[in-house]
Amino acid sequence: MWSSEAKSANSVLTCPFCGLGCDDLSVELSEQGTKVDARGCGLAARSFSEALGGTFPSAAIRGQPAPLEQVLDHSAALLRGASAPLFAGLATDVNGMRATLELAERCSATLDHLNGDALFRNLLVLQEHGWLTGTFAEVRNRADLILVVGTECFERFPRLPERLLYPSDALFSPPRERHFVLIGPWADQQTPVELPKSQTTVLPVDLKDLAGLMGILRGLLAKRPLQAGGFAGIATDRLADLAERLRRARYSVLVWSAAELDFPHAELTVRALVELVRDLNEETRAAALPLAGSLGDVTANQVCIWQTGYPLRTGFQQGGPRYQPALYRHQDLLSREETDLLLWISALSPAAGPPRTRVPTILLGHPGTAPAGPVEVFIPVGLPGIDHPGHWYRSDAVCPLPLGKVRDSTLLPVAEVLHLLEKRL
Amino acid sequence: MLTKLTGGRLYDPANGVDGEVRDIYIRDGHILDGPPAESPDRTYDLTGKLVMAGAIDLHTHIGGGKVNIARAMLPELQGGKEAASPSGERYSFSPATPSSLATGYRYAQMGYTSCFEPAVLPVNARQAHMEMADAPLLDTGGYAMLGNDDLLLQLMSEGATQEEINDYVAWTLHATQCIGIKVVNPGGINAFKFNTRKLDVDERHPHYPLTPRDIVRTLSRAVAELGMPHPLHVHASNLGVPGNQTSTLATMEAAEGFPVHLTHIQFHSYGTEGDRHFSSAAAEIADAVNRQKNVTIDVGQIMFGQTVTISGDTMRQHANRRFAHPRKWTCMDIECEAGCGVVPFRYRDKNFVNALQWAIGLELFLMIDDPWRVFLTTDHPNGAPFTSYPHLIRLLTDKGFRNDQLARIHPDAAAMSRLTGLDREYSLYEIAIMTRAAPARILGLTDRGHLGPGALADITVYHERPDAEQTFGSPMLVFKRGEVVVEEGQVSRTFSGATQVVRPDYDRGIERRIGDWFDRYHSVRMGNFRISDQEMAEGIGSPVQVHPCRPRGSA
Repeated sequence: MWSSEAKSANSVLTCPFCGLGCDDLSVELSEQGTKVDARGCGLAARSFSEALGGTFPSAAIRGQPAPLEQVLDHSAALLRGASAPLFAGLATDVNGMRATLELAERCSATLDHLNGDALFRNLLVLQEHGWLTGTFAEVRNRADLILVVGTECFERFPRLPERLLYPSDALFSPPRERHFVLIGPWADQQTPVELPKSQTTVLPVDLKDLAGLMGILRGLLAKRPLQAGGFAGIATDRLADLAERLRRARYSVLVWSAAELDFPHAELTVRALVELVRDLNEETRAAALPLAGSLGDVTANQVCIWQTGYPLRTGFQQGGPRYQPALYRHQDLLSREETDLLLWISALSPAAGPPRTRVPTILLGHPGTAPAGPVEVFIPVGLPGIDHPGHWYRSDAVCPLPLGKVRDSTLLPVAEVLHLLEKRL
Repeated sequence: MLTKLTGGRLYDPANGVDGEVRDIYIRDGHILDGPPAESPDRTYDLTGKLVMAGAIDLHTHIGGGKVNIARAMLPELQGGKEAASPSGERYSFSPATPSSLATGYRYAQMGYTSCFEPAVLPVNARQAHMEMADAPLLDTGGYAMLGNDDLLLQLMSEGATQEEINDYVAWTLHATQCIGIKVVNPGGINAFKFNTRKLDVDERHPHYPLTPRDIVRTLSRAVAELGMPHPLHVHASNLGVPGNQTSTLATMEAAEGFPVHLTHIQFHSYGTEGDRHFSSAAAEIADAVNRQKNVTIDVGQIMFGQTVTISGDTMRQHANRRFAHPRKWTCMDIECEAGCGVVPFRYRDKNFVNALQWAIGLELFLMIDDPWRVFLTTDHPNGAPFTSYPHLIRLLTDKGFRNDQLARIHPDAAAMSRLTGLDREYSLYEIAIMTRAAPARILGLTDRGHLGPGALADITVYHERPDAEQTFGSPMLVFKRGEVVVEEGQVSRTFSGATQVVRPDYDRGIERRIGDWFDRYHSVRMGNFRISDQEMAEGIGSPVQVHPCRPRGSA
């Protein structure tokens, strides 16, 4: 729940640390401090304890602690002096992103998220072809055949089996009758323990063969013949069996995390996944579930789209917003030094500091951030959902959740720091 | 601060004022009752100008996930910068998929001061409100979608009482901070998830022992019994299907006399006559509307050109995917509540079907007698972007112009249309009814849509030009809460609006049933689903303004 008061004991808490956005965590305040029951999620437990156990460092200029006023003045001077600033990272909540856009317009800045590469693997497919997707509750209640692509979804989204794939209860598709197909570079059949072995098939395949595999499945669904030798080490009868399962399923779901598809032109692989889903819907029902949203990529992108009309990788260098997905990749802008100031916003994870760069950097960061290189300015900011309330999108982009507040702290929200900077321009 | 508007000709149908010259006094954002004793701080000489209340759009897709999907999918529609905002240029402008900022500014530039998003998916209500909060200068509101959600269908299937249904409907309104209830393709979106591709009004749902008729009857009754001002807002079955006039007429009947609003009825007024088995059923539909006083409609006029269709109706949007232009489309099944489909579309005047759709919309406007029961919409952006309203007003007020346009469309469509025989020209008074007085009345907004004492000083002043498109396209002045926000087409100041809601009473006991549902099946907690007033004001950025309902059960 939205709350500008710190949570009292046992109240429900939304977790901002992965794109599942689990909102059933609880918090306990005791004399030993604040404790979060992370419902068995290691990622959440670790991230909450890191956030709650950390110290509140002072703002600093070139590593030297300085009063906030002075740091803000110095940052504003840097922003005023920059002719092509880059605002990147963008791991923040809705109001942090609203403020980012306001300041970006004032400063003629360019925008990209730290997960921009993963985000655009999906987005380029949406813009080229469109797609057909489902959301968490649909998958939880309706899916009877679930294809999980790649091996990393289970680490990146730890409660995926419990919450979506194999829940305790479902409206239409009994969990004990579901079938799971794990497609990816699985070594020695090491599948996630949360999924019942008897209901799980593993198809070991290299990520780069995924697109080809999807093409084979589409061909089989269209009743085209298949060479006897199979494909990418998968025997023909196993391929035929999967195609038959897809044909028979009432509601099949393809799950992937674009962040894992980290190879050149992976958007073509995403496109192949999307096209299989489309073909299936000619005769039966199927949906894609692209998992994303960790570190706020979905959040930042949503706000940017509604306020400017364009997704991220949009810049204000030429007056109104200009969308340049091929040109505004933050890594490229930095390495080519096509920017003269980096404002890196990263309120959620100490590990998501700014990349090493020669471009002067203002860091609005998680208090525990250890940047890869020296930064000109560091302003520690609050975590949405811990230090201040906020809003946060999970993977399916349909459900912005309210983040409450766990503790009273002196850390300012990103939005407030940016407003203070804007006032100084 | 006292402001006087003097010499203008007022069109204020809510108060029966038809073109009379009267002065208006404004203080603290409201219209005063007669001239006060002191002299005004500011006086605007409006001699020869037309003065109306700020316009109200009761059906325009301006916020929420599906609108954002359309923007994301179609960057090529964005058209560079539009230097109209007072603070800068932080938006590009695509008429079909405007950014939230462009939406606010462009509506204000046309003299609109309140707009309502008609398809708020309950789980996505926060996003809809956040986007609308970022549309400056507009007061906004939304209609929550029910009637495809598994919880309602389960309650109905289990034989829940009407009282329990009413409680659930009221709870949904509170939780989502909405002002109305909408049903889209009743039961059909849900049926599509069970791989059903068509669901007629009296056809049984593939899973639940229910028909669309049952859903319309139950929900229209719930809305009436809860005392909500706005009738059930219905996007009927079989959108766009030739011959769908039958299901449209059946949907009207399904309300069994309870108030019902059929939206974008142009898309639901098709016959199957002629060589192409596609014809206008506007006469039959208009006749039914004229006879059944419990029915109101908005038209959903189409205009020729590029747009994008955005709808909760996944069943029909998926069926229409092959018409996508450009060739891409998105559909989404959402949270056991409903869905959405986004299909870009280009209406062509030389295409028989599109040309006839255009004519059907105009026929409906001209054949439905009572302007209090027909509303001026293009179902933005589904029929056309809202920026085409001034052109549409000219088509309605200027028969010569209309006939000139008719001569340009596909000749077979023109020949099949009754348009040439329809001489009606809407008066300014009737335009003011359709765009101000009637939408305010049907939404229960007593504080706007008129120029009487106590009304919000949301006022639009037009130059009277020979061409209505010019008159309505660029007002001389627009006042929002008594402040000038647009001068001669330029936005001169900006501020945020408020969210308009109603809150019928309900028995909190229903929350046990809803909470159990959330715990077992949903992906969020009930407590997080619900949007508080504090969250609206502090987090989302649009404080709520509550409008009264009639006492529950007084229907």
